[in-house]
Amino acid sequence: MTSISTSYEKLKKFLDEFISGNGYTNIMTGYITGELQFLIFIIVLAALFRMFSFPLAIIMLILVTALALYFTPTIIGVEKENSNDLNRVLYWFLIYFAIIIAITLWGG
Amino acid sequence: MIEVTIQLLGFIAAALLLIIGIAGMVFLDNIIKKIIAFTLLSDGVNILLVAIGYIEGGVVPILLPGMSTVEFTTHAALVFPVGIVLTNIVIGVSTTAILVALAIMLYRRYGTLKASVVLKGERR
Amino acid sequence: MTTIPSNLWSIPLIVAIPLLAAIVVNALYDKRAIRYISIISALLTLGISIISPYGYHWFTGHPAFDPTTFTFTFDPGIPGFRLSLEFFFGPMQQIMIVISSLILVFCVIMATSGLTKHQGPYLAMIFLLFASAAIIIMVNDLYHLWIAVEIGSLIVVGVVVGSGTSISHKAALKYAYFSAICGSGLAIALALLLGITGFPNVSDVVRVINIFGVGGMETILYISFGFFILSWMYAGGLAPLHPLKSEVYGASYPHATAVLQAQSKLMLVAIGIIMLRIFGTLPFVKEVMIFLSIITMMLGVVIALLQIDFRWIIAYLIISHSGLVTLGIALGTKEGIIGGIFQAVNDIIYMSVLLFCCEALYYFGGATSTRGSFGIAKKSPWLCAAVLLGAFAASGIPPFNGFQSEIILIQASINAGFPEIAVIILMVSVTTLIALLRAIYRIFLKPPENEVAANAQIPKSITIGTWLFIILTIIIGVYPDIALRFIVPFVEGGFLP
Repeated sequence: MTSISTSYEKLKKFLDEFISGNGYTNIMTGYITGELQFLIFIIVLAALFRMFSFPLAIIMLILVTALALYFTPTIIGVEKENSNDLNRVLYWFLIYFAIIIAITLWGG
Repeated sequence: MIEVTIQLLGFIAAALLLIIGIAGMVFLDNIIKKIIAFTLLSDGVNILLVAIGYIEGGVVPILLPGMSTVEFTTHAALVFPVGIVLTNIVIGVSTTAILVALAIMLYRRYGTLKASVVLKGERR
Repeated sequence: MTTIPSNLWSIPLIVAIPLLAAIVVNALYDKRAIRYISIISALLTLGISIISPYGYHWFTGHPAFDPTTFTFTFDPGIPGFRLSLEFFFGPMQQIMIVISSLILVFCVIMATSGLTKHQGPYLAMIFLLFASAAIIIMVNDLYHLWIAVEIGSLIVVGVVVGSGTSISHKAALKYAYFSAICGSGLAIALALLLGITGFPNVSDVVRVINIFGVGGMETILYISFGFFILSWMYAGGLAPLHPLKSEVYGASYPHATAVLQAQSKLMLVAIGIIMLRIFGTLPFVKEVMIFLSIITMMLGVVIALLQIDFRWIIAYLIISHSGLVTLGIALGTKEGIIGGIFQAVNDIIYMSVLLFCCEALYYFGGATSTRGSFGIAKKSPWLCAAVLLGAFAASGIPPFNGFQSEIILIQASINAGFPEIAVIILMVSVTTLIALLRAIYRIFLKPPENEVAANAQIPKSITIGTWLFIILTIIIGVYPDIALRFIVPFVEGGFLP
């Protein structure tokens, strides 16, 4: 587990690397906004699991918040996973398909 | 005990082709092999469609001279899958042609057919 | 205009004129005449879709049996099985096709006023793209649905290849590869539905499932849904296929992207509504659709923030806003579906504004990268004003059209019991503005550091097209009923008469 201070340090380190690396880049604002947006998005998404069941939503909320803070900055990972590599897209495609079939069969 | 009918055998063959096709498309790295796997997938779909339209002791869904309407309606195979299969063959050929044409273009540029090299992700 | 119970004359024309135009311009290859032929064909399609009455066109099949008169009838009011392959042209189809053909007109004019040399095959692809979009929005049977998706995806590949760069070839191969998988998936879904119900007509399939049930075949129905949703994800570029679809948008010329995005919005609406009609009563189906939409919205807009090229920013924003369209449909309430379709209409319009502005940047030497600053606002203040207005419309700022559809979607999600979704919609609008303004500031507003073509001549077609669509965004934003009176009867009337 992590605490807020270490997450803060991680974020700060991430930003420092940006500044010391290439100096100010026009993409930096994008990364910072993206990071914050993504955190809020996945927390809201986790809360939305209440449409399946309430306990699941609470567990997801705690889990997602903890993991998100632990893995800060997440945006680098998101960008990497968002690659247009054919094999990577295929991998995610199969995972989505499996989850969709599993959820609908479970619901039925 | 499940009775082994021609329809069931058709479904089994279709399932095998579909599984082999999808596995080939996902796990093989060579673009041409992926395209060959796609043709297997497409054939699997065709067999599935034909098997769904199959009727034991059925006749071609064309009202032939001398055939009574009752006999025709009770024995005629489902006509719609046949139409889809014909279309699927045509679309399969055109998709394969496009895939192969693009593969040739990219081979000329990169000198390899490895999907992990030619179609790898790029930072924009 | 009322619905007429006979074969409608206009539906074959809406599809056949683009097809014929495609054949002719392809044959003419690089003659000057293709410019006039294609503009006339596009205008003709627009005119027919505006004046056409509402009704059906039947292909093959048998008419429904009328138990009161013991006769066969094509009257759609008779609740019997229709057994026919059919197209339906109603108010919702009309507004979608009118907007798409308006984009087609400007796309054709822009494509023929420069940029490419051998335009025949390229223009043919654009006409075929429009035809596939028109088919899919009118379709009411599984056979034509599948054909439109398959052909539409192959044509998308053709349009992308038409822009002729290395990136576009790769994007085309990847997209064609998924077209192979998802097209086969849709064929399997269709085969399974056919095996369960025995009917190709969507209305018949819905009637069988809702009235007679599926007799212990629920599992097959779920698997059919799984394959169906693959084609939905693929046609609209929903997550996880968004990297490929955005690559397709970004790798084509902006005018082609305008038609591409219109086609994919039409596909999302058409396939989404058919899925809702067939599988809507199954448990967890709407939930899966909602989650898919939210993930698409979220990833699209977050990745748009990280892009360093105006084209790619727009490409990812198109993906993200596709999520808004599908979200409305996935909510499944009348309000939600109205909001979703209205959002699709608005989205097609304001994204076209941004894409036309992007096309204009090509005349400044392709100054679309946000790495440089070009100070284009000083060279072309009207272009800067247009792109700013487009950005405001895209971010749902009143009085533009994006605001009207997003407020309906927000209300619909709150009424459906999901206030979280309303929060996400608001965040998407705000982030859209941030992503766009970042690029607009660098390219247009910041004092220039890099040189661009000093006296670039933007073609009149781009200027007229951009401002026409901006006027449309404002008119629909101030008087949303202009668009809503086409959409509301379609949804309230249970989709089809």
